[in-house]
Amino acid sequence: MNNILFNNLPLLVLNQLLSLFYLITTFLYGAHFFKDSQFAKRYKQPVLVLTVLTHVVYLGLLTSIEGYLINYSTVNLMTMVGLTLTITYLFIEFTTKSDKTGFFVISFAAGAQLISSIMTARISNAGITFSGIGIGVHLIAAIFGFSAIAIAGLYSILYLLLFRQIEQNRFELLFQRLPNLEVLEKLTMHAVALGFLFLSITLFAGMVEQRASGEAIKLLEPKLVTLVVIWLLYGTGIFVKPIIGWDIKHMAYLFIFLFVFVTILIVFMTFFSPTFHGLTF
Amino acid sequence: MNIISVGVNHKTAPIEIRERISLSEVQNKEFITGLISSGLAHEAMVISTCNRTEVYVVPAMHEVTGEYLKEYLIAFKDARKEVRPEHFFSRFYCGTARHIFEVASAIDSLVLGEGQILGQVKNAYRIAAEAQCAGILITRLCHTAFSVAKRVKTKTKIMEGAVSVSYAAVELAQKIFSNLSMKKVLLVGAGETGELAAKHMFQKNARNIVITNRTLSKAEVLAEELGTNKVLPYESFKEHLHEFDIIITAISTKEYVLSEAEMHQCMIKRRLKPVIILDLGLPRNVDPDIGKLQNMFLKDIDALKHIIDKNLEKRSRELPKVNAIIEEELVGFGQWINTLKVRPTIVDLQSKFIEIKEKELERYRYKVSEEELQRMEHLTDRILKKILHHPIKMLKAPIDTTDSMPSRVDLVRNVFDLEEPNQSR
Repeated sequence: MNNILFNNLPLLVLNQLLSLFYLITTFLYGAHFFKDSQFAKRYKQPVLVLTVLTHVVYLGLLTSIEGYLINYSTVNLMTMVGLTLTITYLFIEFTTKSDKTGFFVISFAAGAQLISSIMTARISNAGITFSGIGIGVHLIAAIFGFSAIAIAGLYSILYLLLFRQIEQNRFELLFQRLPNLEVLEKLTMHAVALGFLFLSITLFAGMVEQRASGEAIKLLEPKLVTLVVIWLLYGTGIFVKPIIGWDIKHMAYLFIFLFVFVTILIVFMTFFSPTFHGLTF
Repeated sequence: MNIISVGVNHKTAPIEIRERISLSEVQNKEFITGLISSGLAHEAMVISTCNRTEVYVVPAMHEVTGEYLKEYLIAFKDARKEVRPEHFFSRFYCGTARHIFEVASAIDSLVLGEGQILGQVKNAYRIAAEAQCAGILITRLCHTAFSVAKRVKTKTKIMEGAVSVSYAAVELAQKIFSNLSMKKVLLVGAGETGELAAKHMFQKNARNIVITNRTLSKAEVLAEELGTNKVLPYESFKEHLHEFDIIITAISTKEYVLSEAEMHQCMIKRRLKPVIILDLGLPRNVDPDIGKLQNMFLKDIDALKHIIDKNLEKRSRELPKVNAIIEEELVGFGQWINTLKVRPTIVDLQSKFIEIKEKELERYRYKVSEEELQRMEHLTDRILKKILHHPIKMLKAPIDTTDSMPSRVDLVRNVFDLEEPNQSR
């Protein structure tokens, strides 16, 4: 069988191990959040760090096939999304000392990694590879941008859930375990600011790379249009709060909408526009 | 050696009875010193709080039983008309130890996991120790109880979460705002409830607390007590409503202090920044329609009671963990009690060997130099220590059944030909 995993035993083992680590990490974070398990509390962070390290090694091995060049394929993008989400969350956990939202972010990352693992085992074509700093920055910034959008969306959902629980006097699990509304608001707004920054870098690096390579990308190319639309919406989102005075509750609805919108667009484009901005190389 | 506990508490008697039998600190001292000086007890201690009056006694006579102590306390308080022995509980041996461990760890309290009882038990021990009524048994019992309470506090969540309305109000505010030191708090009403809520807010780092009250001087006194020194005249506080993130109302009034229209204007001025209003008044101080405003969290006493109920539920779930800690400590305490039974035998054994050593050394006192005698003494000490090590270790070793202890003691006494122990204690 002509498949990158089945032709490479260490990669196959690491691929399976990584999925298992993600499931264990999600389980530990879930057990701590929902069951207040002290065992899970003690071991979840070390396991998360181990998962991130394994993921980095896995990506190294995966890209080594093409001479450590970034490969533009759905499976690679999915696994990169998983890694960036986890790294971003780990950064949040270390800096804010708040470990209560991990289950929600890591379960999403685990989902992305599981899909990537399953798809990697089924594909025979590795996809297009790229070299050069410009294109590398463009791709990595795009992936971090999507991760930030996802985190902003997830934290917005948590914000609204906690808001409703307090409003309706339902002082249940989420009330007891989630950080307070102000912290969730800060986490959301930081994720949005980061997302906007990464999307801006994506656009800028893309423009620089296009000029340098001389490749012609159509202005109405779906991925380009989508990226610009998302960038505009996010940029507007950042300035809506101070200028129009929208409260965070309405902002949360906007960010959830953007998250769902971006996710649907990515899925659609994966199936209907699988090329890199219409380029054939 | 026995240890008896008798007493009334919230589980055995209504408040009228508890009030009637409770002892002030002076009465407490008088009661326990009376027990000791009359030769009824070797040791005595009384825990007397609003919810319990409990006597812990190491009796000095067989006649001093639980029933005797109940009657003794009733007579001491001259309360025969109101208080009957049926209002009391009584415990013996490990039952007493278990009870005081449960009391100190606050699982026997009216409000599960309340934080005051440990201090009250410590105070009871201090009184007994100062009156020289706490001997080896009560001292060990109390120190083990303190250790149980410390373990329970650190290893379980029995004391977590608010269980009073004023503290629940602060807990709720902390679920909305991350840092209370950055928030401006308005307290409307300087009565007991408001004062308690303000103090809880202060404990959680809220420093910008402004107080308003119909009687301004009362507000000033509370503001000074808190150290904020910020007051607003009651007639004009509504002009500043938009400046506050947290508003606590706790005054006695038939009309609403805050109306929906006033708060609507306030929210416009605040550009919809969230506000929490904690209405601790009864009847309510704030128009309930205010709760419908955007980004407005209005919570009254009923809503806060939901938080308390949830916290108490959470505390109840910790009970198995607390009981496991108590069981562990009980085993250790039981083993220590058993070593007390062998203590006279150990003392006799050591005395006998020291006597032999001294007699033998005396024979050589004038036959060797002072320096050599010291060396011999040092040598014999080391030999005795090694000889006695195993029998003492065997006597102190934990036992599985209580009846094996006398046989162990008898064995050692027979082997080493020790005289019969003194039975006085």
